[in-house]
Amino acid sequence: MKAKQDFPSINERKAQGLKSTGEPYRVLVVDDSMFVTKQISQILTSEGFEVTATAADGIEGVERYKELYPNIDLVTLDITMPKMDGVSALEKIVEFDNNACVVMISALGKQDLVKKALLVGARNYIVKPLDRKKVLERIVMSLNR
Amino acid sequence: MRVEYINPFVESAYGVIQEVLGAEVERGELYLKSTSMPVLGVAAIVGLAGDVEGRVLFDMSKETAIQVASQMLRSMGMEPIDELNDMGRATITELANMITGQAVTKLHDLGFKFDLSPPAIFTGDNMEVSDPGVEALIVPMQIPQGKVEINVAIRERT
Repeated sequence: MKAKQDFPSINERKAQGLKSTGEPYRVLVVDDSMFVTKQISQILTSEGFEVTATAADGIEGVERYKELYPNIDLVTLDITMPKMDGVSALEKIVEFDNNACVVMISALGKQDLVKKALLVGARNYIVKPLDRKKVLERIVMSLNR
Repeated sequence: MRVEYINPFVESAYGVIQEVLGAEVERGELYLKSTSMPVLGVAAIVGLAGDVEGRVLFDMSKETAIQVASQMLRSMGMEPIDELNDMGRATITELANMITGQAVTKLHDLGFKFDLSPPAIFTGDNMEVSDPGVEALIVPMQIPQGKVEINVAIRERT
């Protein structure tokens, strides 16, 4: 009888959403658009990430982060949002947790805005339209930094 | 209205629609309108404020909106819609947001500084829009799902 390991594995690659321990990275998605939240969640969960919570504006995003901390590994943050914009929310999150892994996702790619977000402490900045490859590449890069 | 403001919107609309819908876009003739004008049924609006001020309206019929949203949802492996529900409205709003965001980025690189408001969407019959004191430029685009009009009214802040 053949043992399981005698068969070649067709998928050697580990899902990108899993830590070396095999546990999923836990993600907080902050975006005021239901469409974008679903789009990002869909991309991430298909690679094994766990979308732990979502928030629809900057204030809610900061609150969620504080509640979830330290059981949260990554935040995706929109910029143009009601109540509190993404860059202000980023400042608050970084002030609370200097090691927070935050990736900005916005339709705006203005250079000074990107620069500001990176200076404040964002690990990466993804400009929309989103595609699966772009999102996963940047997020994995940010987590490994 | 200066043409520098308009081209980025036209280019972005063209590029983003092509990318997210995977469809050919046919551009119609641009025209200016200074009186109030009818809106096709579903209108997503994004406000601009800074060196220039005004608004951009993305206007289409309800049927077109349902088909455009469905195509965007399908391309992500999500369920298409058969009525303009919350997800449908969020999808059209996001399309407007992506186009405006990209246009604002281009304008910013040309030296115009201004910010965007979060987008809003209006739906209904027999709607009209008027912008007292500002001429609106309409950019009609034909896609397989129907007609989308991009209606830009911007003026320099004095």
